Amino acid sequence: MGKDGDMKIKIQKFASKIQKNRYVNSISDGLASALPVILGGAIFTLIDTINIPAYQNFLESTNLKALTGIPPAITIELLSLYAVFSIAFNTAKQFKSDGFSSGIVALMSFLIVTPIGILNDDATMALSFQWLGATGLFVAIIIGVFTGRLIPIILEKGLYIKMPKGVLPTIEKSFAALTPAFTAIFIMLVIRGIFEATRFGNVHEFIYSILQVPLTNLGSSWWAYLIIIAAMSVLWFFGIHGTIVVMSVIMPIWASLGLENLAAFRAGEPLPHMIPGGSFFMVYTALGGTGATIGLSLVLLFAKSKRYKVLGKLAIIPGITGINEPVMFGIPIVLNMKLLIPLIVSPIIVSVIAIVATFTGIVPPLRGIGLPLGTPLLVNGFLEGGVRVAILQAVLVVVSVVMYYPFLRSLDRDALRLESESNHSTSSDSASVS
Amino acid sequence: MSKRILLACAGGFSTSMLVEKMKEEVKKRGEDVFIDACSESKITENLPADIIMLGPQMGHIEDEVKDLVNNEVPVTTIDMADYGMMNGEKVLDVALELINNG
Repeated sequence: MGKDGDMKIKIQKFASKIQKNRYVNSISDGLASALPVILGGAIFTLIDTINIPAYQNFLESTNLKALTGIPPAITIELLSLYAVFSIAFNTAKQFKSDGFSSGIVALMSFLIVTPIGILNDDATMALSFQWLGATGLFVAIIIGVFTGRLIPIILEKGLYIKMPKGVLPTIEKSFAALTPAFTAIFIMLVIRGIFEATRFGNVHEFIYSILQVPLTNLGSSWWAYLIIIAAMSVLWFFGIHGTIVVMSVIMPIWASLGLENLAAFRAGEPLPHMIPGGSFFMVYTALGGTGATIGLSLVLLFAKSKRYKVLGKLAIIPGITGINEPVMFGIPIVLNMKLLIPLIVSPIIVSVIAIVATFTGIVPPLRGIGLPLGTPLLVNGFLEGGVRVAILQAVLVVVSVVMYYPFLRSLDRDALRLESESNHSTSSDSASVS
Repeated sequence: MSKRILLACAGGFSTSMLVEKMKEEVKKRGEDVFIDACSESKITENLPADIIMLGPQMGHIEDEVKDLVNNEVPVTTIDMADYGMMNGEKVLDVALELINNG
């Protein structure tokens, strides 16, 4: 235990450094704040595209189709606009500055570097959706963090134009408040000018091809996915919420993978990513929570010892919705060498099965809806990919049961023995307590 | 004034389970205690509190949360076993003990 304890403290320090890094935090909180909007669009994508002819005819004939397509178009396709504001807002707040004004300046900055065109009538100015959705997400993240940090720096360091003596302080203050916006305009114009002179034409094209595509390709590979989920399990073994620590880093990549699938699904095109991280994790890997512990919760229901039976009843409903703290700490799984193997191996096995099933076309790739934690098992699978995905989930639940059963059976036997021993030796004590 | 206990974890999900158990216990004892759960990123919005209790899976950020509240209220990490078994009675005892003596 002593050795484990030292190790635990070291890993805890490491995890808190990652998760509480102010920049990492700004990005993940910023994306999380934009989530309700994305989810609204995603749900309407489903409503808009349910593939039942009678239903689609109904939508067309009642003109409802014109309405149901709007929420996805102005959320998923414009995601970067929401994200840049939200990330700048959260970054400024991390550095204890005014979130709202940073958000506004960030939105403006983002639009300055985004190409504006003229429609065919040679008169109407138009902003193409091309870089406003998932494709512009990395630029939105970079500009969001940059402006969110820039404004506090300017205000803290007093890097604004000082007025000559005699000018009213109020006037100096109102000019000081303009400095961040003007600084941002100047920097963004320089960036725009520089990139117009390159073969990329604009900063979006540059960041997308140099940074976003390589990173998302890396992040969508099956081996990166397996490494990520193994890291989550290892952190959980040490009692740290590994999912949230790892997610805080991987979120920008997983978010863009999901959104690219969602946009393709909406357009009726083939889905580009076989493993859209966030959705894949929620649907296939985190069955009953990180560690694919749903099998464990089910086995607990049939435990012979009183302790585990009580825990099983407590754990099963949250487990179905992906919350497994009761089993993590109640059995416990945390720091329990006897459960280390299934904790790490089960999520990998269920994921590998799901990856193979997706690549061989047994199940369709997931749509990238990114349903929030708390959406029940099977329901999330059905919404993310239809009946076949839900059936695969059910199969994986059985796999999880098989994985955990032998390990829990031996723990249960020990617990039962302890219970019967303590019943014999302390029956008089417990009588006096109760 | 009633005492305020704030529980925080990653998303405020599992702590809310424990909050329900603690509320049952408060009712049983007839005490004047307000208990709520939130995600760790929303702690500031959920202040004031007389004590902040973190789920054990969030124990690694205890120091950061202490800084966040300038050490003005006690911040503690809930015991793993009590958390796993959702032992509202015990956690409530710990909270009240820390509020009164911490």
